[in-house]
Amino acid sequence: MVESGVLGFTIEAGAINAWLVWILPFVAALIVPAVGRVSHRATGWVAVGFALASALSAATMFSGALEAREIHDQVNWISTIGIKAGVLADPLAVIMANVVGWISFLIMVYSTGYMKGDKDIVRFWFWMMFFVGSMQLIVLSDNLLMMFFGWEGVGLASYALIGFWYRDKKKDYVGVHGRTVLGLADYYSPTHSGMKAFIMTKVGDIMMLAGMFLIFSFAGTFGFRELLHDTAWASAMQAQGLLVPAAVLLFGGAIGKSAQFPLNEWLLEAMTGPTAVSALIHAATMVKAGVFLVARLGPLFFALGAAGFMVDQFFEVVAWVGAITALLLATQGMVNPEIKKVLAYSTGSQIGYMMMALGVAGLSHQFVDGYTAGFFHLTSHAMFKASLFMAAGSLLHTVGSRFMTDMGGLRKHMKKTYVFMWIAGLGLMGAPFITTGFWSKDAIFAAAFESGSTWGLPLFGIAVLTAVITTFYTTRMIGMVFFGDKSKHVEHMEKEGHHIHEASLSMWVPYGILAVLTIGIGVIGLGTEQGIHELFTEYLASTFHIESEHEVVKTDAGESVFALEGVNPVALMASLAAFGIGISLGYVFYIGRFVDPARFVNSNIFFYAIHKVILNRWYLNAMVYWCFVVAPLWLARGIWRYFERTAIDLGMSTGVEKAVGWGAKVVQGTQTGVAQSYLYVFGAGILFVVLFLFI
Amino acid sequence: MEYALLQAVFLPLLLAPVAYIIGRKAGPNAATWFTFGLLLYCTFLIISVALEGNYAERYPWTHLFGEFGFLLDGLAIPFAVIIYVLSTVLALYSKPYMIHKFKEMYEEHVHGHAAGSHGMQTALVESGEMSRYVNNQSGVYFALFLAFAMGMLGTVLATNLIEFYIFFEIMLIPGFFLVAFWGDGPRRRISLMFLFWTHVGAVILLLGFLTIGLSVGSFDFAAIQESRIPQDVVMFAAVAIIIGLAVKMAAFMFHIWLPYVHGAAPTPISALLSPAMIGIGAYGVFRLIIEFLPNVYSDFAIWLHIWGLCTMIYGGAMALMQDDVKRLLAYSSVSQMGYLLFGIGSNSLLGFTGAEFMYVTHGLGKALLFMTAGILIVQCGTKSMAKLGGLGGKMPITAVCAVIGALTIAGVPPTSGFMGEWTLFAGALDTAIKENAATGSILRYVTFGLGLVATVITLSYMLWMLKRVFFGKLPEHLSHVREASWYMTAPMMVIAGFTIVVGIYPDIFFEQIIPYMKGVLGA
Repeated sequence: MVESGVLGFTIEAGAINAWLVWILPFVAALIVPAVGRVSHRATGWVAVGFALASALSAATMFSGALEAREIHDQVNWISTIGIKAGVLADPLAVIMANVVGWISFLIMVYSTGYMKGDKDIVRFWFWMMFFVGSMQLIVLSDNLLMMFFGWEGVGLASYALIGFWYRDKKKDYVGVHGRTVLGLADYYSPTHSGMKAFIMTKVGDIMMLAGMFLIFSFAGTFGFRELLHDTAWASAMQAQGLLVPAAVLLFGGAIGKSAQFPLNEWLLEAMTGPTAVSALIHAATMVKAGVFLVARLGPLFFALGAAGFMVDQFFEVVAWVGAITALLLATQGMVNPEIKKVLAYSTGSQIGYMMMALGVAGLSHQFVDGYTAGFFHLTSHAMFKASLFMAAGSLLHTVGSRFMTDMGGLRKHMKKTYVFMWIAGLGLMGAPFITTGFWSKDAIFAAAFESGSTWGLPLFGIAVLTAVITTFYTTRMIGMVFFGDKSKHVEHMEKEGHHIHEASLSMWVPYGILAVLTIGIGVIGLGTEQGIHELFTEYLASTFHIESEHEVVKTDAGESVFALEGVNPVALMASLAAFGIGISLGYVFYIGRFVDPARFVNSNIFFYAIHKVILNRWYLNAMVYWCFVVAPLWLARGIWRYFERTAIDLGMSTGVEKAVGWGAKVVQGTQTGVAQSYLYVFGAGILFVVLFLFI
Repeated sequence: MEYALLQAVFLPLLLAPVAYIIGRKAGPNAATWFTFGLLLYCTFLIISVALEGNYAERYPWTHLFGEFGFLLDGLAIPFAVIIYVLSTVLALYSKPYMIHKFKEMYEEHVHGHAAGSHGMQTALVESGEMSRYVNNQSGVYFALFLAFAMGMLGTVLATNLIEFYIFFEIMLIPGFFLVAFWGDGPRRRISLMFLFWTHVGAVILLLGFLTIGLSVGSFDFAAIQESRIPQDVVMFAAVAIIIGLAVKMAAFMFHIWLPYVHGAAPTPISALLSPAMIGIGAYGVFRLIIEFLPNVYSDFAIWLHIWGLCTMIYGGAMALMQDDVKRLLAYSSVSQMGYLLFGIGSNSLLGFTGAEFMYVTHGLGKALLFMTAGILIVQCGTKSMAKLGGLGGKMPITAVCAVIGALTIAGVPPTSGFMGEWTLFAGALDTAIKENAATGSILRYVTFGLGLVATVITLSYMLWMLKRVFFGKLPEHLSHVREASWYMTAPMMVIAGFTIVVGIYPDIFFEQIIPYMKGVLGA
């Protein structure tokens, strides 16, 4: 314990690192504008340096976390209401902080190349560092209110960075110019997209706030550990029937932030931001905040369930929202022509997987299985998806178009990107035995299959179907970009003297590292998963008192037991089959190009209809716009015209004025100036007074 | 400190003629700095007194009315501090804006007279005449500005019903002249509208005051006891007071004067009217209804709550329909006053705290936004959003401050808006749960949910405004636009910094507000 006299509170020696992890990026954000006045180039180094320092402080906590120790340190914050601020670095938070920290660092390095020469670079670094700080704040804060600061901070950074190119030039738009769905253009400017993202996630946020306040009303605290230690609040809430609603409302925040159904539509337009932003915020970290929130609160609610509270419905909601999102977004990834949008659909869909795993965990008796699966998938997805996005950024940089139809045949020109994209893509597809994606996806299948709940099988079915689709669209993406003939666009560029070349060193190294890691960790993948599994078993047991029913056998039998305990044969077969089917279909259509996909779709009305519905985003986006943008504005305009301008403005204001004016004219009429009439009135008045006094 | 509050209230009034003379003789520069220095001194007086906790001054007055006192307690401190802090920084901000306005009016004036002679006067004569005109006008402006500020402060410090009423009317009169002299559009008409609406409100308020005062036998706050007033009379008095104050707050159905006045008033005055003045209505409800008439209040609470909700949503919806930046902000103020009423009706510790804190955050946020609007008028010559766009790169400091202001209003952390909003809604929900032990109050659950929806509307119109003003393509005619002068940007930066500090460390105000609210609720 180190006494810090000045501020009057004590800080554990290890806790300083936990504070530094999120404070350092904020410090950088404050420094960057000042540095930017001197040199634009230097801002990049400041950002990269601070990102590294933050990641290193996260790394120092790793050894403690592996022993399932936790750092919990608090200071007074809003003392008048008795709210404290604090950091909580338990194994969950430490692993997440490291994932966020190191991936941010790599993406910062990538950005020095990707954003080179942008004249608004200072603003870019400010918001990137602000984002990293806010994200680490979500990960490490020990109570919901402080977490909400980070929660809105990342939302704000996301808004600012999606609309980074605020001048709304045509090249920064997403969607296809002139395409309409249900009469609304499917073509969005960066600033519009930023606004859309912020407002849609805000809808999730108000749900989260409502959930927070419900719990606060009963528990009087926002702290994660305080809520765990004294559960009197839960019985009081159960008595009023508010426990599950509160949990589901909190999950609403996760739905918004992680772009889950029905608040999923903002993520696609978020692709107007610079690709480094898409990689960091809309693939690797921010959209995982929702998963992290569920991982934070899931054990709490599961522990309550184990103690006899009825919380199954909460986990059912989580699992089904995840499953629906996984399938819904994966289907759309199959048809979209824009490379970043395909990746965005894929991101939402994969997050759906994670949610499903966490939900399934709560429904089963083996909480830790699903929990580990979901979280393991989070980390592996963060790696390969960040890699894929950065690679896509290189492609955009080189080709200057966001459409895959404008690429094609690039494998000879961009060999490194080609190789890394295959590797990371294989991670996304879950290529058997060598990629992290395989092991994490397999774990989710196994968790769903073994959960033993009534929903286990349907969820398993959806998961497998989604896996087939995932493999297919990933193959399609790689096929369209790297195989076949060069597109007209590329040929045109070459004719004009542009040389199609590999990206610069600072760009390909980061996504190379992440791609290699996908394989590297994948080869020892089962071991990694077992490691996390054991860690979480211990963590959940010691912190939440969630005991695992069958302890993982760690001893004598070695490999054979290892395989039997860790791998479910049905899940394994399903995973292999999904990969096989998906990649063969993709090969037929897009790599070998034996069948023309357009011809195939147009071959009969059934395929055509399905394709059209999927291409139109299941009409969800258009319906959201009609119901929540067009209709309310129409209503507001109606009230404006027919109530505010008429009833209130004319009626109450001008109306009163006119009435007074008219009244004045009436009174004026009596001012005749004729003495006789005045005398009559005077007399009548006297008469009236006399009568009044005497009667 | 003896006479600290007396000085803080009356020095600006007594020295207002001096400001006029300085303006006339030495020009707007000197008048600005004189006003700024004076208000800064008074602000320091208030803050130094406030740091010591509750503080009161009493002076003998007439026998009929009671004592003439000033009370700075947990309720009054946030109001008083915000009123004077805003007045102080806006005094500086006024200079470039008002000079721009005076010159514009002079041009109008000259063209009005010299339309036939083709304006062939020499530049020398014109500039001499013009500077004389500007000096005169700025003298009058700063004198009225000082009187306006002291009127607002006096209202929140008053300890006597009649004293309250007098200050309540004093702040109205300079406001009327400020709008009538330097407003936009049909300014005389609008200033009369302002005068009539708020004056009628004030008279209704006076009716309530007289009812209470005559039945209690004294007008001193200290003498008011609900139990000593007959049941039917107290009801009538409360309704009169609430209506009188609701007109000031521009609650739904009484709001029509506000968009006109705030839209037309000279912008530094809009920036004082909107955040500082109309919120005084909320102060009145806290002091006069919740503190003095708690039984009547608990009957009315749910109606105030619903009224607040209507105002929130209605103001937000109307703000979405505006093209004029200042009118948008005015409707936004209506909506924000709805938040205050919503919190006032919540009947819970956190709800009351949140409502008062909303006054602070609305003061800071809306001042920032009106100052932005003023910069747009001076630098771009228009306040119509259809003609604006893409200014983010042209005026980065203004844009950053505007974004911070918008986030404050929308309640996004780390700005102070979030601290106000979460306490407000947590309090509202708390009452919903506790009002009925078995199921909670369904009506209050619904109002709580709709209130949260209103925050989404707030965020929407704010982001949409930012998009239309600062983002997108830069129109051709704005390519020459530059950042505003330091007189305008520095005050904005101060306020922007303040809102973030308060947002991260709200105890600055919570330490004052919460003990007071606990006392009122008897908790």
